[in-house]
Amino acid sequence: MGSYRLRVPLLTCAIASCFVSFAQVTKPKNPLGNGLEVVSQGHELYNKSCTACHGRDGTQGDRAPALGAARRYFRLSEAAIFDAVKNGIPGSAMPASGLPDQDIWRIVAYIRNIRSTASDNDVPGNVQNGMEVYQGKGKCASCHMIRGQGGLIGPDLSSIGAQLTLDQIKDALTQPVRPQEGYVPVEVTTKSGEVIKGVAKNEDAFSIDVLDMQGRLHLFNTDELQRVVHLPQSLMPHNFDKTLTAQEYQDLLAMLSRQARTKVHREQQGENEVGR
Amino acid sequence: MVKPFAFILCLASVLSAQIGDKELRQPLKDNWYEYNGSYDSRRHSELKQVDTANVHGLVASWMFHIPNAARLQSVPVVANGIMYVTQENEVYALDARTGRQIWDYRRIPAYQRSPNRGVAIWGDKVYFTTTDDYLVALNALTGNIIWESKFAEYKDGYCSPAAPLIVKGKVIVGVAFGDRGLNGTLHVLDATTGEILWTFHSIPQPGEPGNETWAGDSWKAAGGDTWLTGSYDPELNLLYWPIGNPSPDFNGDVRMGDNLYTESIVALNLDTGTMKWYFQFTPHDTMDWDSVQIPMLIDATYEGRPRKLLAHADRNGFYYLLDRENGQFLHGSRFARKLNWASGLTPQGKPIRVPGMEPSLKGTKICPNSSGATNWISPTYNPDTGYVYFVALEGCGVASKNMEKFRPGGFQYRATGDIPAPDETSRMFVRAIDMRTGELKWEQERAAAHNFGGGLLSTAGGLIFSADFEGQFTAMDAKTGKILWHFNAGQKLNAGPITYSLNGKQYVALSAGSDVISFSLFDNK
Repeated sequence: MGSYRLRVPLLTCAIASCFVSFAQVTKPKNPLGNGLEVVSQGHELYNKSCTACHGRDGTQGDRAPALGAARRYFRLSEAAIFDAVKNGIPGSAMPASGLPDQDIWRIVAYIRNIRSTASDNDVPGNVQNGMEVYQGKGKCASCHMIRGQGGLIGPDLSSIGAQLTLDQIKDALTQPVRPQEGYVPVEVTTKSGEVIKGVAKNEDAFSIDVLDMQGRLHLFNTDELQRVVHLPQSLMPHNFDKTLTAQEYQDLLAMLSRQARTKVHREQQGENEVGR
Repeated sequence: MVKPFAFILCLASVLSAQIGDKELRQPLKDNWYEYNGSYDSRRHSELKQVDTANVHGLVASWMFHIPNAARLQSVPVVANGIMYVTQENEVYALDARTGRQIWDYRRIPAYQRSPNRGVAIWGDKVYFTTTDDYLVALNALTGNIIWESKFAEYKDGYCSPAAPLIVKGKVIVGVAFGDRGLNGTLHVLDATTGEILWTFHSIPQPGEPGNETWAGDSWKAAGGDTWLTGSYDPELNLLYWPIGNPSPDFNGDVRMGDNLYTESIVALNLDTGTMKWYFQFTPHDTMDWDSVQIPMLIDATYEGRPRKLLAHADRNGFYYLLDRENGQFLHGSRFARKLNWASGLTPQGKPIRVPGMEPSLKGTKICPNSSGATNWISPTYNPDTGYVYFVALEGCGVASKNMEKFRPGGFQYRATGDIPAPDETSRMFVRAIDMRTGELKWEQERAAAHNFGGGLLSTAGGLIFSADFEGQFTAMDAKTGKILWHFNAGQKLNAGPITYSLNGKQYVALSAGSDVISFSLFDNK
């Protein structure tokens, strides 16, 4: 496979260098875990100890940034956050906290939680039951796919736990939401009078792609259509907290929060110290 | 003119259709179902709306930009109105009429490198390989991930840039390792489940036939990667896969012997992986001349009787015609003018080596150079002319060797290389040769003298399309080589062009450096 080597030696060197950097350093993990109780304790400690500079509940303060936001310079890993709280950040106004290590780990759990997606939390509930609700009573699988199983009309949920926060998942299940791009309900009428209902996968001034309720994809130029009607409401029901029992709802949350395909890959790569 | 109603009905039904063996066995026409177009890899389409008389009216219909792309090598696959193109770890599904994106799939791999050469399609799924050696199956209409299956270990140095080939529900994927002294494998996975069904080892293990062609334990770090998509004969149920060079590339002293099955084409039973035959083009290669050129399967009369042929212009400078039922050598002839390492071929097709023409400590001038007299870019065959078309490089190198030893961990193991011979120029050509005799029929020089650029496409319109590295996309008369049309893409071209037809309109498309461009005849309606 040598055709390009003479032409681009620098590229070859760059590729070769990647092969010697696979080893990963094992970083310390939070010994207290990141369960809801630890997060709650950390929340309380944070609002007592950190809010002279940072804002309450992870918001921006008078002298320091909002730790619940996304900043590319933020510490990300548990070890890196612990180091910043314990030892301060040299060259900045961030001091060493002076707190016991156990309390620092609680704060670490809280900071991670306010930045985290659902999969970073140990959401209580029976995951297996949650999958049964998903496939049965909830009818979620008729529209959504998880790891190759389910419908196509709604977003794929294989990594939903790594994409949304727990609150966002709850909102999606219980609040009316605007349909997201690619899932806008639409009804088109062709020039021959055929009516097709589905979601608009893409749309511009001259064309529209419609995935119909039977899972067929239609690629239309708009001059082939009489009418295009967009529906304001998402096809997603938003009353799962009412149609399911409290336990079923909690089990469904537990199952969804653990769908984190991208997290698996992130862990394989090793977690970055900074950036988000 | 197709009426809108008929067209809409057609799309509505077709876009939920399954792609199966029946579709993939059809002659290359409206769709471009796989990297090489069809199982026979001839890259010759029956479409002829665009022909020698009207090709001057070919204009760009649409362009799609692939974010952050620089040097695309992806050959678009077109099935039922959707075009699929890739770059490493990303797949884009486009409306093949307009170029508008339908969906994309982007993956964060454990290890990033390039390139990726495209997808394969089967059933309701598209398949591609990632830089961390997963085969990924996606829903063809929406891009939903269906499964992923790991078939090699990137940490050892394996990657998989080639587009998969899919036959009868089996996905065939090869590996590349860029001369790191690893041993090549070819993996066959179940298209439904991702399960690995069998693996072919291109370097025979101890006790297997061929292992004796490696001195001592040199077979352990031996090369033979499988970095390009092969071909398939449905009647014989045989896969034809080209195998790469031995390791270390330039010092053959540590691996005396023929070094099977490097520099070969192997014919493998699709169901079992059993090798029916092999043909080695360059025994004991010391010039990195991977035989990784796409095997073209041709059914034609040869010496008075119909035969199943395999045509192959090799990086070593010779053109070969084999009987693909049994691997019998039928014809061989030199196509490279600059060729000094062999004086010819024996009646069995073995090269007759010129003594001393191998890398040395001080350096030896060898022609072709290590880039080869041709390379991986796609050849094509036009049954109307009976010509084989391919890209040829005329160049020489000064090749040297050293005593570098193998180091595990992904380090290159080449034992040095070659530099351009100072007293020689390098020139690049598109050549047409007679399929049966290898006689040169015409040649057309390319501007880019050092880089092979993109591949070739043949159509029943009597055209050969060629993608020059310097950015010119040209159409030539298949009979004469006369240039009839050209388009400056404004970016380097590294991929093979394709053609397809939708709603009665023929398109010609290719991946340029960072954009996919689709052309059709100017329509002033």
